[in-house]
Amino acid sequence: MDVYEVFRRHGHKEPFEHCGAVIAPDAEMALLLAKECFLRRREASHLWVTRRADIHSFQDESLLEIAADKSYRFAEAYRDVVTKRERARARAKELAS
Amino acid sequence: MNESLASVLTALGDDELVLGHRHSEWTGYAPHLEEDVAFASIAQDEIGHATAYYTLLAKESGGNPDVIALGRDKSEYRHAVICERPNREWAYTLARHWLYDMADDIRLEALEACSHEDLASLARKIRREERYHLIHADTWTARVARGPVEGRRKLMDAVGEALPDALGIFEPVELEETAVKEGLWPTPSDELRRRFLDRAGAKLDELGLPTEIHAHVVQDAEFVASSSGDLIEDRQSETPGGSASNDHGGRRGRHTPDFDRLWEDMTGQYRAHPGATW
Repeated sequence: MDVYEVFRRHGHKEPFEHCGAVIAPDAEMALLLAKECFLRRREASHLWVTRRADIHSFQDESLLEIAADKSYRFAEAYRDVVTKRERARARAKELAS
Repeated sequence: MNESLASVLTALGDDELVLGHRHSEWTGYAPHLEEDVAFASIAQDEIGHATAYYTLLAKESGGNPDVIALGRDKSEYRHAVICERPNREWAYTLARHWLYDMADDIRLEALEACSHEDLASLARKIRREERYHLIHADTWTARVARGPVEGRRKLMDAVGEALPDALGIFEPVELEETAVKEGLWPTPSDELRRRFLDRAGAKLDELGLPTEIHAHVVQDAEFVASSSGDLIEDRQSETPGGSASNDHGGRRGRHTPDFDRLWEDMTGQYRAHPGATW
């Protein structure tokens, strides 16, 4: 028997979301069991199962922390560009007239 | 301001800026889309580290980080020559990334004991991020080294080409003696280089790559690592981009024509619009 992680989603535009796990002898049975355990009340219209052993993660998740300043990766860092553009447009208009 | 501190910060910042710029040139061309994004992100990290070093330098000297990064003459940059070499093909870029990040980790580890509190804490912060770069480089290198023979051959040649230049990362920084005495550069560059050769040699052995570290590129050949334990004498292989690389010079502002072109590209916009900001 293996542990299967279960994912479900409501519609095509929604992402699959993890909703739990089942213990089953194979994927086929895992799907049947997952349907009964996690889709009893029309919670979703799509279902995935995958063996837990096939899911990979970093052993050391501190790797995922962001150590240094990454403000340049966020739109707020460029807010000033809008003001600058407006100023440049105004100046261009002024020069044209 | 303390001139030896300025020298240390300039060398560190320039390495990261120039290599970050080279890395960024892969944007749109890396071997596959996911790696393109990953490598561009690493390039941004390196430039972010340069920003941090320059910001500290500016704080100490009353300057401006943008002017330090982009407003200097070519001759004022103190990065190691390896950082300015063109990307050539992916194998060379990978070999350089691998060697550089190994070298960077070694000097950052030493800098954690720096007597300047801000620089010591910056080194710790940057090292945390560089840890991921190291894993990225190690994973790629191991995969190519164990992969089909063509990739392995390319990687081996590329490591051989990049290694002489990589030793230039440990060319003493200007005013190094003073910096060591003041605890600003806690471990002398010669010692750092010895550690680097030990580690690079061990890793190459682990990957089963012949470590032909040419005797003629290192003055103190007794530090040369080799998987067979033998030094391979003077094969007279050419180093990329011309110019003998065994006397380095990057830390004294002596660069190759490769940097002339990079500098034009990197600073052109800023020179056309001095003081421009985002």
